[in-house]
Amino acid sequence: MSKSTHDVSNEVVVRTIVRKRLTLRSLVREEKFLYVVSLVVFFTIWHLAATRGNGDSALVTPWATLQGLYDMMSSPLGGETLVGHTWNSLRRVLIGFSIAVCFGIPLGLLLGISETASAILRPLVDVFRPMPPLAWISLSILWFGIGEEPKIFIIFLASFIPSVLNAYNGVRLIEPELYDVVRVMGGSRWDEIKQVVVPASMPAISAGLQLSITSAWMGVLAAELVSSNSGLGYIIILGMQNSDPQMVLGGMVMIAAVAWVLTASMEKIDMMLCPWRREIKGL
Amino acid sequence: MAYQTVKARKSLKLRVLPWLSLTAVILIWQFCVSPPGVNDWRIPGVLLARPYDVLLLGIEKLTDVNPDGATLLVHAWVSLQESLSAFLLSLLVGIPLGLMMGWFGVVRGLFRPVFEMWRPIPPVAWIPLAIFWFGIGMEGKIFIIWLGGMTPCIINAYMGVKTTNPVHIQMARTFGASDWKIFTSICIPSALPMVFGALQIALGNCWTTLVAAELLASDQGLGYLITAGRSIGRTDIVVLGMISLGITGVIISQIIYRIEAKLLAGIRR
Amino acid sequence: MNKHVKISAENVSKEFIQKGTQRVPVLKDISLQVFDQELLVVLGPGQSGKTTLLRIIAGLEKPTQGRITLDGEEIRGPGPDRGLVFQSYMLFPWKTVEANVRLGLEMAQVPKEKHAETVRHYLDLVGLNGFEKYYPHQLSGGMKQRVGIARAFSTQPKVMLMDEPFGQLDAQTRLFMERETERIWLSDKRTTIFITNNIDEALLLGDRIVTLEGKLPGRMKKSYEVNLPRPRDPMDMEFLKLRHTITSEQELTL
Ligand SMILES: Nc1ncnc2c1ncn2[C@@H]1O[C@H](COP(=O)(O)OP(=O)(O)OP(=O)(O)O)[C@@H](O)[C@H]1O
Ligand SMILES: [Mg+2]
Repeated sequence: MSKSTHDVSNEVVVRTIVRKRLTLRSLVREEKFLYVVSLVVFFTIWHLAATRGNGDSALVTPWATLQGLYDMMSSPLGGETLVGHTWNSLRRVLIGFSIAVCFGIPLGLLLGISETASAILRPLVDVFRPMPPLAWISLSILWFGIGEEPKIFIIFLASFIPSVLNAYNGVRLIEPELYDVVRVMGGSRWDEIKQVVVPASMPAISAGLQLSITSAWMGVLAAELVSSNSGLGYIIILGMQNSDPQMVLGGMVMIAAVAWVLTASMEKIDMMLCPWRREIKGL
Repeated sequence: MAYQTVKARKSLKLRVLPWLSLTAVILIWQFCVSPPGVNDWRIPGVLLARPYDVLLLGIEKLTDVNPDGATLLVHAWVSLQESLSAFLLSLLVGIPLGLMMGWFGVVRGLFRPVFEMWRPIPPVAWIPLAIFWFGIGMEGKIFIIWLGGMTPCIINAYMGVKTTNPVHIQMARTFGASDWKIFTSICIPSALPMVFGALQIALGNCWTTLVAAELLASDQGLGYLITAGRSIGRTDIVVLGMISLGITGVIISQIIYRIEAKLLAGIRR
Repeated sequence: MNKHVKISAENVSKEFIQKGTQRVPVLKDISLQVFDQELLVVLGPGQSGKTTLLRIIAGLEKPTQGRITLDGEEIRGPGPDRGLVFQSYMLFPWKTVEANVRLGLEMAQVPKEKHAETVRHYLDLVGLNGFEKYYPHQLSGGMKQRVGIARAFSTQPKVMLMDEPFGQLDAQTRLFMERETERIWLSDKRTTIFITNNIDEALLLGDRIVTLEGKLPGRMKKSYEVNLPRPRDPMDMEFLKLRHTITSEQELTL
């Protein structure tokens, strides 16, 4: 435990850093124990459900799923191993997502800053918004064929709207007096944008990134399910066509893992973009 | 005190521009796409249909079942049935579960690991399994859409309970209220606004997931209309399906919004 | 005292349009002169248009009628020659204490080499050294307003405008901050308009106190010279007498 004291005139600020000691007691806390119980029960049920019946059940045991995962990693499927397919999906997401963010955030900021731009463009955003991005799949296949483009287009659409809307709402919720701070110091309109608009809407933008990446990941899978010959969506649909639940479940595990990594990296990015924010504990 | 009044005026420019821009886009769309059967410098009809043709088709499809097997309203009805029943199901399961996870440590401990494993999987990734398990009937789609609606319900209900003012809970404790009593009479009411917040998100998720489910496995519904239109090369059907999806989505979200506002007003009373 | 007029308001009135259609008069016929090196306190009850008056002087609002001059030139917009301390701090939560204070320097295009030194100087002045790297949410209310004051001072404005700067503080911190304000003001006698709704604060700080009438629209009521030696003692007989005069005259209008 270390202690440091600042003395600011009449206000004393004491910072205390307490290091938690690791004991057996704190390890076996009740909640943790329940987690273990939960996982054991879950996998047991899964195992029992898979082994019940006479082998034609559309489920395989957790162990078989792991094995399937390992097999797909080592032996190629449709020309590539599971790692290759994962990379294919991920690459599409990253391209589509980056394009969407590069256009979406500035557009959202512009809508928030300029009444004229908002009057012209908001109706269009409002018209396109309620249309689920996946509804564009047919058109995008007609337009771009079956290569990479239609998938990237869908991912772009899926992540574009959340980026725009969050940036826009971020600007709208800015406390107007913050602009006055810049104005009384003789700042220009550009200073207001640089010093207030962008940083103040950053938390909302960052929340938008989180939504966008989730939506993009869903978009790439849907696009690959509909038409593709590579990617994780392709793996699970291939598994379905071959009546191979091992492949489907293995693919799903990989999908969950990538989704988890994407979310976690967005949280890291959030910490980088908004280092001033207090940590808000959530689920 | 009575104040003098002045006329409220938004500048003319700001009132006119939105309409101008919408009209312009529709006109550009109309004139930059070739009419059916014509081949010129414009975007060919196999890539995009003109808005006017889509409108005409929409009117025709109110009664005509060709070429995709059902009228527009039947498609919309099927989609509505699927998404709304899945939506209600996700409310019925997700909200109680989230509330309990927020208050009872045991429930939280038992469900959280499974929830954390399940949460990152996008609902569309369940489509193959759902088809294995349920075939391509309505159950499979409802299952997938239900998964899409669950996450926001659980999270918002959970957060709603977690953000209950601790002072209220302590007060109830000093009156000797039981855990269950505190849960039902303090935590749940205070979580309600957040729970209602989940309705719109869950509905949006359900509607998006519906499209994915119908794209893959169905023979009716608005999502199916889009796929069918593509497979027979009719872009007007595709666009009609997309627009109907958008409009229906807006209508149900408006209805849910109204209900939500009513319920919230009831609580705040 | 040197009686050069620094700021002069001539028949300033202000109306706001509220709820789209209502014309609400907030200030009516305010005429006011602030002398060089003076600490003028504007004393008025809540919702009497105090903030509005200060915002007009700062150039953030335009008066509906009348005009305000600074050194004889009409005020047409905000500018770095007037530093404003906000009632609700208005620090940038995404900037550290240091960066918040540096903001004005960046805007005024002060050469970069001088930033660090100037920032340190003003943080010292308000007694905040050691907190450069803190974010506003890690500070107490009093400390936040110190940052607000340092920020307003950093561009060396000709006039300081302080809008109920200590309104949100507890009584003890408030008294302490008032003493600090007096100390800072005495150190370079910068012309200051200090707004408050607290009569003790007004008497403790002001060279002169002008009162605003309670109900909207706010009007100028009276002006009192406070010729008491600094630092002032709130238990001093003269202090209490003046306090009594102002309170009784204020009450007539409430
Ligand atoms: N931008 C604005 N638009 C419309 N009305 C305004 C605006 N700014 C202030 N008002 C109105 O002017 C009146 C006076 O506000 P002001 O903030 O100047 O009072 P104040 O004396 O500073 O009050 P307080 O002691 O609470 O700070 C209020 O009734 C407020 O509603
Ligand atoms: Mg005020």
